Amino acid sequence: MGTLDFMSESSASNPAPVRRKLSAGPLSTGDKWFFRSTSIAAYFSFVLVALVLIFLFLKAWPALQEQGVAFVYGTTWVAEDGQPLVMQIGPMIYGSLLIALVGVLIATPMAISLAYMIVFMLGNRLAKVFTTLIDLLAALPSVIIGLWGFYVFTPVAINWENTLHQYLSWVPLFQVENPENAFRGSPFIAGWIVAVMIVPIITSVTREIFSQLDKDLINGALALGGSRLTVFNKVILPTSSGGVVGGILLGLGRALGETVAIFYVLQISFKINWGQLLESRGGGVASWILARFGEASEGEISGLMAAGLVLFVITLIVNFVANTIVNRSQPWRKN
Amino acid sequence: MSFAPRPAVQPWKRANNARRLQIILAAIVPVLLTALVVMTSGLDANLATIVVFLPLQILAAGLVGFRAYGRRGIGDALLVVVTIFLSAFVLVMLLSVFFSVLSEGSRTMSLQFLSQNNVYISNTTSLEYGGVANAILGTLLIVGITTIVAVPLGIAMAVYLTQSQSKLRGLVRTVTQALSGLPSVVSGLFVLSIIVTFGFTKSGIFGSLALFPLMLPTVARVAEEALKLVPSDLRLAALALGAPNYKAFFQVILPAAKSGLITALLLGLARVIGETAPLILTVNTNNGTSWDPFNGPMETLPAYVYGYLSSSFTSAHQRAWGGGLVLLILVAVLFGSARYLGRAKSMKSKPTKQKASK
Amino acid sequence: MTSLTKASTLSSEDISVWFGQRQVLSDVNLTFPANKVTALIGPSGCGKSTFLRTLNRMHELIPSAGLSGSVFLDGEDIYGEDFDAVSVRIKIGMVFQKPNPFPTMSIKDNILSGLRLSGRKIGNAEELVETSLRRASIWNEVKDRLNDQAISLSGGQQQRLCIARSLAMDPEVLLMDEPCSALDPGSTRRIEETIKELSSSMTIVIVTHNMQQAQRVSDQTAFFLADDNTPGGVVEFGATEQIFNGPIDQRTNDYVNGHFG
Repeated sequence: MGTLDFMSESSASNPAPVRRKLSAGPLSTGDKWFFRSTSIAAYFSFVLVALVLIFLFLKAWPALQEQGVAFVYGTTWVAEDGQPLVMQIGPMIYGSLLIALVGVLIATPMAISLAYMIVFMLGNRLAKVFTTLIDLLAALPSVIIGLWGFYVFTPVAINWENTLHQYLSWVPLFQVENPENAFRGSPFIAGWIVAVMIVPIITSVTREIFSQLDKDLINGALALGGSRLTVFNKVILPTSSGGVVGGILLGLGRALGETVAIFYVLQISFKINWGQLLESRGGGVASWILARFGEASEGEISGLMAAGLVLFVITLIVNFVANTIVNRSQPWRKN
Repeated sequence: MSFAPRPAVQPWKRANNARRLQIILAAIVPVLLTALVVMTSGLDANLATIVVFLPLQILAAGLVGFRAYGRRGIGDALLVVVTIFLSAFVLVMLLSVFFSVLSEGSRTMSLQFLSQNNVYISNTTSLEYGGVANAILGTLLIVGITTIVAVPLGIAMAVYLTQSQSKLRGLVRTVTQALSGLPSVVSGLFVLSIIVTFGFTKSGIFGSLALFPLMLPTVARVAEEALKLVPSDLRLAALALGAPNYKAFFQVILPAAKSGLITALLLGLARVIGETAPLILTVNTNNGTSWDPFNGPMETLPAYVYGYLSSSFTSAHQRAWGGGLVLLILVAVLFGSARYLGRAKSMKSKPTKQKASK
Repeated sequence: MTSLTKASTLSSEDISVWFGQRQVLSDVNLTFPANKVTALIGPSGCGKSTFLRTLNRMHELIPSAGLSGSVFLDGEDIYGEDFDAVSVRIKIGMVFQKPNPFPTMSIKDNILSGLRLSGRKIGNAEELVETSLRRASIWNEVKDRLNDQAISLSGGQQQRLCIARSLAMDPEVLLMDEPCSALDPGSTRRIEETIKELSSSMTIVIVTHNMQQAQRVSDQTAFFLADDNTPGGVVEFGATEQIFNGPIDQRTNDYVNGHFG
């Protein structure tokens, strides 16, 4: 008693049925224009990204050609009249990465705490208030944060740095050559300011992920006798880890591109600051571009273009990775 | 079965008085002790918060937790204390930004500040003269031009992503997301390279162009979310009645997503209205008032703040705060409108969250 | 072989339940004797699952929840001062309607997750895993892939895994909220057999929409009913045989004979 009768019948005497072509395409000429114009719009992103890369590359090429690969890792920048141009952005790339890293390290615990509190500790009304507040703060223009950073935060941060130096100077991170000249304009301060900028982003993403966690999982964990801490450690965090990491990387991407907020705060000096957070040394690519472009000669502008190109490529990669991780960990958000 | 209306009770909340006392003590004692330490030993307040208050608070909470729930109570108490501490910390900082702009900026704020431009104002002129009127105008013009181009395009992109069946949708979405990571200074460099290559003069329109790649991805993303919220049944119903796709879109889907799309517009606006670096690189500033974005320099709010902050005079910094406050108000208004529209819509279309289980 | 806790008697006394100001259950008095299976039946929305959640103190997780009355586990009120919610849930386990294995954990880790979540020591992990999976009648199917991800199992297997996970806690009572409603008939049958085997070592309370299932597995049955706008309650409660073949109340008769619901 194997196959059903009608199946064996058709394979013996009738050919396989012809599949009809089904399509969900345009239903009229109006439709054709509709879809065509939206397609054109859609490819705009491609066009933009391509244009940015092309134009930057065109303008950057002279500098890149002349400076060679050393542009990326070298540590000298000479742009005086009458002297041959030497442009290498090593210290600035390192500085951008260092400041962004400090910012992310500071921001992440605070953001996750805030998201946890909003989703799992507050009642409905308070949670909405806090969510609105966080989203509003994400819209704060960076120039305002730069204002605040320069005027309000720097004195406070210098106070902190003094304390850190006083008690923890045995840690290499917190050593300075000369306490008289240090503290102001350090990666420490810049990192804190960047952290303030990216906390809302990370909090938003994390809060979204926490609130979309399957309630059944959490109920199941509680029904097994879980307490707040164990449910957080063993269920909430592992299940949401993918998306949270994506959110952190989005914050990192934003941090790398941050220009104005830290521009006033940094004392941009052209030496690599390997890790002495309290020293007033170092800088970032974006701030460097802003600092130099005002009086730059044509040759130097080419170098700044190259710096911008490098920065864009880095942020492209970071954002691509971040969005891939977020999308993959939230399959319900896809399409 | 009997049915006698009785007041509801929550027996699990029956904390007895001893426990209530413990909780209150655990909240107050560490604060008092820390204050005592700071006052007597002169220890720096910041340091005391980390070194004295936090451990004491953790200890106190841990004790209460332990007495209530045993070993697991300690872990839970720790989680709660650390979460509240870190959250409070970050909120204090964020609110400090907010309030410092409000308090410093309001000192500069006046009718004259909002209505005059900056001609004949130097860095040391008294605050009774000069204002940001030309900057506000410039911002509105430049951002307005960007909006007029970016919003329809962004919505069209969102339409493509939600309505078409193309296999390239994933790629488009990826590239748009990648574009959203464009650093603002690089966008400015991009337009600067165009200016230099073709020999144009810097003017407002190039500022608009520099803001465009920053606004487009935001509008597209939010618009896509708004369109996705429209139930597919609506579209199918329109198609079943014989409508072609574009009519289904314009007559059924678009009206349904209207408020969400307006949100997309407002959020995109809020995103670029405070961007500084792109404008600095592509538009020259102007103390006077300019109505022409196609020729010549034009003042904008972010550039105004940037310019005055770069000076070393305190009166100049005062102006910067004032400009910052105006910017903040603009962003808050945009954001508030977007929120208001979004909320009104979500009450209509989403089911209630807390449903009593059967 | 780990020693199994003796099953306990669970009973509710005058349990009434509110959500906010709305009362949804009124004066439920039921006794669930040790080593017996009790089914809770009734039309949708009459409060059966809500009542079930008062038995392991999951009800209080809902913000607007209110309750009056007592629930006694072997004579002690689980809402009293000697108990906190977690210690109750360790003794009274729950299996949910939709299988909910933890997606980031393997089969083995899922079994052990209850002990880890409640902070209890795990003695012999392998033995515990095997015992639990055997009791849930799924050992043979997964014994070679204990380290595989739990979500790689089929729906019916996942539900049996969740049963095993609850069993690993060695509960005195097992609450089951429509455990088979999301599963195919084959898996349903296997779980019903498991329930009958388990009743020899614990007390089981099962909410079900399926009257045939209630007749197959339970020793006693409680019929819940709620009219529009009045709180639900128990109409009739007695031996399963009697409820289905000779109900006393006319409403019970109507329901079990398919006249409504």
